[in-house]
Amino acid sequence: MKAVRVGRVGLNAGAAVFCLVWLFPVYWMVNSAFKPSGDLTTETPRFLPFPLTLASFGDAIERPGFISGLYNSLIVTGGVVLLSIGLAFLAAVALARFSFPGRRGFLIGMLVVQMIPGPAMLIPMFLSLKSLNLLNTLIGLTVTQVAGVLPLSIWILRGFVQGIPVELEEAAMVDGATRGQVMRRILLPLTLPGLIATSVFAFIAAWNDYIYAYVTMKDQSKYTLPVWLASFSTAQGNDYGGLIAGSVLFAVPVVVFFMVIQRRLVEGMTAGAVKG
Amino acid sequence: MSHTTLKPAAAPTGAAASGEGPRSASGARRGRQPRAIPYTLLAPAAVVLAVVVGYPLVRLVLISFHDYGLRSLFTGVSPWAGFANYTAVFHSADLVPMLVRTALFCLALAAATLVIGMSCALMMKSLGKRMRSLMVFSLITAWAMPNIAATLLWTWLFQPTYGVVNWLLTQTHLFGDLRQHDWTASAVSGLFMVWLLVVWQSVPFVAVTLYAGVSQVPAEYYEAAELDGAGYFRRFRVVTVPFLRPVLLLVAMMSVIWDFNVFNQIWLLTAGGPHGGTSTLVVWAFTKAFASQSYGQGAAIAVLSTALLTVMMWYYVRRMVHAGEGL
Repeated sequence: MKAVRVGRVGLNAGAAVFCLVWLFPVYWMVNSAFKPSGDLTTETPRFLPFPLTLASFGDAIERPGFISGLYNSLIVTGGVVLLSIGLAFLAAVALARFSFPGRRGFLIGMLVVQMIPGPAMLIPMFLSLKSLNLLNTLIGLTVTQVAGVLPLSIWILRGFVQGIPVELEEAAMVDGATRGQVMRRILLPLTLPGLIATSVFAFIAAWNDYIYAYVTMKDQSKYTLPVWLASFSTAQGNDYGGLIAGSVLFAVPVVVFFMVIQRRLVEGMTAGAVKG
Repeated sequence: MSHTTLKPAAAPTGAAASGEGPRSASGARRGRQPRAIPYTLLAPAAVVLAVVVGYPLVRLVLISFHDYGLRSLFTGVSPWAGFANYTAVFHSADLVPMLVRTALFCLALAAATLVIGMSCALMMKSLGKRMRSLMVFSLITAWAMPNIAATLLWTWLFQPTYGVVNWLLTQTHLFGDLRQHDWTASAVSGLFMVWLLVVWQSVPFVAVTLYAGVSQVPAEYYEAAELDGAGYFRRFRVVTVPFLRPVLLLVAMMSVIWDFNVFNQIWLLTAGGPHGGTSTLVVWAFTKAFASQSYGQGAAIAVLSTALLTVMMWYYVRRMVHAGEGL
């Protein structure tokens, strides 16, 4: 009995150490963001952010480039989400509801594409955008990001469409509904949770992109938030308060959305590639 | 149990499930539709993918056979170079160190991620409810943290003068006074810092996925093994590992792919330095193309690394194709 109790204690201690290590960076991030900036550079680090202040947030927001970065990020992310989800929904219906030659190949292709290193695609993308005069434009960036987001969106949405009983559509078609009506009136509303989950996935992927925006956007007025944040640290190494507060602002929407779809994201990533 | 795991109402992953899932609305069943409809629906996505994925891939290979430098960037003309870019890469003194570093770094990342992730999954299985929730919370928080935010946070944690890590290490009195230690000054400590970051970021996915698998192992298996006198480690070896094999393989393969392709973290923390000492193949391709303006050689490195990854992942690709038969 004693061995069991020792095991319990050890187990809980191990879990506690793990939580401590894994939560510490995030705790330190929040702590640093809310501290007065003078407290960031003390001989002994201050472990509690008192007196609380929002000065670092103000500092981040007032820096040149925050508003335009936010605007650019929202436009690009919005464009990527709308484009990917629209295209992915149509493709998902085709892949989930019809059988046709090339269907399997297409699905496997969607998975294999995930393996290509992002930085590898960057070289041809950059050169193509350059020759199309689309460097430094939001449209060019949006299009390149669709490449990263669309394949997995199709894959995830297809799963959601498959989850809807096909009998509903069959019944509607017996009643004389056309294919288009079935898609609009039945599939679309029923797939809504899936569309939301996939949109959130697309949002997170596009919102977090750094490398494409870093390479294609040359003017500071065209930076997205990640590029703005990263440029911030290299330009002025000392303003860690603003940098960390800016990172918190940048991270908040992602963390919130992530909590919402986390369960489904795991399903989407593991499905298909796994055959239990 | 191939695609059914995607259903919104399904269990967390179902990845290790036993394959009893009904193939309810399997796509292949409706074969009597007019032929053009699926192609019409698929066409917009297919066209966009051809333009943003297919074309760049082809172009990447083409560029790797051209002398594409700064001048070509402005004139748009690039002379055919045959295998010159590839020969240059193969004759480069950097090649062997890059390959070794990439392989070791990737291996160190994947191994640590899997060991820690597996330990987390096993701990979560035996923990009480409250402690388990705390672990899930820790994992999800780290997982949700955007890559860039986490990387910039790392620069602050490891900042030489005021960084909390140096301070904490100094307090342990194990390594002497580290308060002024610059982690990016040497390749080993630079890579170690990146390694910590990437492990911190990748453990959550592995732990949550493996936990979903572990929690599906029927309790009877453990009871039977226990009756036969198997201890904890033996039960792990003869029950958990075989049961989890498909998920373990998937998670291992995905880890290798992700770790091989790590870019932002290296680029922002060390920029591949000092003297290229923390550069991996992916970073090398990037710097060749965008810093040395030698797009042809950068493309050649990118092609080679993609080929290398594909060979390494051949088993995984075959598995996907195999799984594709059930789609």
